[in-house]
Amino acid sequence: MPGHPAPRIGDPAPPLRLPALTGEVVDLADLRGRPVVVSFLRHAG
Amino acid sequence: MKVCERADRLRDAGVEALFVVHDEPAKVRAQLLAGIEPSFPVLVDEDRQAYDVWGLRRARRREIWLDPQVWRSYAALLRSGERIRGAGKDALQLGGDFVVDPSGVVVFSRPQQRDDRPAVGHLERAARDAGA
Repeated sequence: MPGHPAPRIGDPAPPLRLPALTGEVVDLADLRGRPVVVSFLRHAG
Repeated sequence: MKVCERADRLRDAGVEALFVVHDEPAKVRAQLLAGIEPSFPVLVDEDRQAYDVWGLRRARRREIWLDPQVWRSYAALLRSGERIRGAGKDALQLGGDFVVDPSGVVVFSRPQQRDDRPAVGHLERAARDAGA
């Protein structure tokens, strides 16, 4: 089991700051001002 | 729906899309992206800290391999001409889909339980409602 519960509707989004495949670091917090879909994939296939 | 189609459809709706993977970048490029350059950010979380922070768990083996829906999904993929590729580093890691509104609040939350990703239309609708 993960150490954190999944965020519920109405919760502030958890932090998300990761390197992209391009090498740049992307931070969800920098995308404030527009809706964002965050999709975690199961695997690369 | 393929990741690229999903991203294009969301972008057409005025929504930013971030995809997060936990496999090695080379495998992601070779399998998920299959030689294309994505026009959307694909974020790499190899140690799965973000997966953990967002509450995404690993399935138990029986949840995946004893689920008839999983076998039906694979059969449908094969019938459509897709081939089953290697599952990557961890076939048991589950994903999830979330929509965050412009103020940073979660307005849609669907951690994956098995083979149950929401249709992209649901995500579009949630994102449009969030941006309204």
